[in-house]
Amino acid sequence: MTSAIPPVLKLTNISRTFGKTKAVSNVSLTIQRGEVIGLTGENGAGKSTLLKILAGIERPDEGQMEINGKLANFRSPNDAFRAGVGVVHQEQSLFTNLSIAENIAYQKGSRTGLNRFGIKNWSQINADAAAVLDKIGFRIDPRARVGDLSFVDRQMVEIARAVCVEPGENDTPLIILDEPTAVLEQAEVAVLEREILKLRKFASVIFVSHRLDEVLRICDRVVVMRHGQVTTDRSTDGVTKQDLFKAMVDDAPVEVSRNRRALSANAKPAIEVRGLTLEGKFRNFSFAAYPGRITALVGTNGSGRGSLVRAMFGAEKHDSGTILVDGREVSNWSIRKAVAAGLAFVPAERKVEGMIGGFAGTRNIALVHQRGAMAGPVLHPRKMAAIAQTWFDRLDVNPNNIHQPLDQFSGGNQQKVVLSKWLNSPNLKVLMLDHPLRGLDVGVSQSVNAQIRQACQNGTAVVLIPDTIEEALDLADEILVMRDGEISARHDLSDVGGLAIKEIVSEMV
Amino acid sequence: MKHLRSFVAWHTVAPPLVFLAMVFVVGVINPNYLGPFGISIVGATAAPILLVAVGQAMVLNIGSIDLSNAAISMLGAILMAILVPQIGLPGILGVLALMTVIGAINGAVLAYTQVPSFALTLGTLGILQTAALVISDSQTIYLSENRELVTVFFNTNIAFIPLTFWIGVVVAVAYWALLRFTILGQNMTAVGKNERGAILSAVPHRGVKTISFAISGFTGAIAGLCIVAQAGSASASGIGSNLLLPGIAAALVGGTSISGGLTNPLNVIFGALTVAFVPIAIQALGFSAQAQSLVYGIFIILVVALTTTRTRGLVIK
Repeated sequence: MTSAIPPVLKLTNISRTFGKTKAVSNVSLTIQRGEVIGLTGENGAGKSTLLKILAGIERPDEGQMEINGKLANFRSPNDAFRAGVGVVHQEQSLFTNLSIAENIAYQKGSRTGLNRFGIKNWSQINADAAAVLDKIGFRIDPRARVGDLSFVDRQMVEIARAVCVEPGENDTPLIILDEPTAVLEQAEVAVLEREILKLRKFASVIFVSHRLDEVLRICDRVVVMRHGQVTTDRSTDGVTKQDLFKAMVDDAPVEVSRNRRALSANAKPAIEVRGLTLEGKFRNFSFAAYPGRITALVGTNGSGRGSLVRAMFGAEKHDSGTILVDGREVSNWSIRKAVAAGLAFVPAERKVEGMIGGFAGTRNIALVHQRGAMAGPVLHPRKMAAIAQTWFDRLDVNPNNIHQPLDQFSGGNQQKVVLSKWLNSPNLKVLMLDHPLRGLDVGVSQSVNAQIRQACQNGTAVVLIPDTIEEALDLADEILVMRDGEISARHDLSDVGGLAIKEIVSEMV
Repeated sequence: MKHLRSFVAWHTVAPPLVFLAMVFVVGVINPNYLGPFGISIVGATAAPILLVAVGQAMVLNIGSIDLSNAAISMLGAILMAILVPQIGLPGILGVLALMTVIGAINGAVLAYTQVPSFALTLGTLGILQTAALVISDSQTIYLSENRELVTVFFNTNIAFIPLTFWIGVVVAVAYWALLRFTILGQNMTAVGKNERGAILSAVPHRGVKTISFAISGFTGAIAGLCIVAQAGSASASGIGSNLLLPGIAAALVGGTSISGGLTNPLNVIFGALTVAFVPIAIQALGFSAQAQSLVYGIFIILVVALTTTRTRGLVIK
């Protein structure tokens, strides 16, 4: 009798709104016992928010959630855990200096394995852990220190912790794996896939991944999200990757807002990398950025593009390969040398790396280049203020107050000041931007993009890591697609008529 | 001054206000303490505290702490007491240079090995204290020759206050200008406010740390000079051997943030005056000798609560 066994998860019209954006909109989803569901979609499609709702981190504005037939109204991750929802987050969260058994015991609650005097009962802690590890078929000594394990083994410990959820007697646990394979090598992925399939014997699984091959291989059903909505929910039988791209990506033509610039035959690169390698991040990477052109690096989060740009700026060391600036090979590359050579970098983590939040606009802009702010050997406050005022006016920073600490500004206006800091360079040769529009609204995005184009027109080479493929198609002259640390495709947009987003996505995964 | 929010303005003026309020209270209750003699004593006591404190403030400003700078003062005082009778002025200059180098070594070790400054300078503190004991042979060393060369700094008064204090004021003003008007000073504060952000803006963070600790060592050595000038002698357990905590207290009472990125050396002047004046005020207000430490402790907590800048935790969106 099917009615006797309620579905493990039943979502009915779940919505969650942040400000004006509907991150999750009217999502309904049912998962049966023992099913493995693949959840996929572009960045910002609403997957993370949906997971957070399931994990008790966010609460839905509307809709109803049932776990094992019982209405679920999670107020905390603890509630979700007790109801039987176990999550393996993208970032590992193990205590590396403790044993596997201790890590598992802490997941169950801080008093697990302690007797009533608060003293650890080691035999019980180890026996409990052994039972859990046995359940997921993972053979390892529970006393091993987590810090000594390989990455994939640690991932297994994470899964073991998630499996410790405590659903009711006849209920089935729901295990959520958020991109567990993103940082794994091919062989490790195979191991993990095998382990995930073991879970279905006693649990239902939601497997989140950008790698569509994996999704199709592992899962029974695949769910695709776009703009907060579920666009596809079907069995993986007979589905091709192409079908999934179509469901993931908008197909509206991208309006191009600038004239592409073709590469002239005698152009010299402003910066070039040859065979650049950083183990585990990017391999044998070669490309050149030319003055007056915008090169976009497109790829998934784990594709290594962030590390590549940081290495070019001297913020990360590379293992091998060369960097050439203005045709000359650099040695002992550092941020200071990079900036002296005319490089600029707008990092993705604006508040932590891009700016000094406690400084006002004047000081932030005067931090890198003091051109025009000096009177002899000293900084001249009035001249500093005049320069800051020029940039605040040019970029229309709001509030237009150069003396107010920057951490009191909104993200978009902070980003304008970060850009000003670099644009104030007397000799800006290469401008590198990592997710410059992250978290910015449309209006600010446009004015930031306008500044990028302007810099480009003034002869700066731009290397851009965009948030979306649309952004790349809008701005770039050349698109390099990265996959697993290598270039999987190059597109010179100045001679290609229309490039389909779908095509690029297929090269990314 | 429109851009200064009211609470920022309060914390800018709090250290001098607290000091003046204290002087006012003592003046009303027991005016005898505020004569020329009283002022002279406060100035003399405050001088070495002020010097150690502005050095400390420069290190706190980059987000570190220098527990060794008072020991640098002590060792500097002993070395001056030994060298000045033999070689005169070059002895003073040599000790200033040596202590600056010791500070720079502190900073360089911190910058390149990333040993936390608290642990590092705790170690240096022990090393320097031992050095001071060994070099002085645990004896008090008197200035037998060239005594005036040093004591002139204490015996010359401007407005009843010994020159040693005014040296501290000049140093504080110089550091204030350094922070406000130079790229180096701007870089120091940037490192203190957000080191990662500073590094990615090509701020030479290692050099900044080295120089900040060198400054602390240099200022500590001047404090040592003040000690010798006042006592005419130096010993590892004598006058000035207990400057570390008053120095930190004075920096904090002067509104310096212990988490970095925020200091005003001009206010540290009032911080040092306050810290030096509290024991006198306690006496003037008639507390018993036994209760002095207790009242001192409570008072310092109250004053820091009043003067600490809390803008860091306040995010206005």
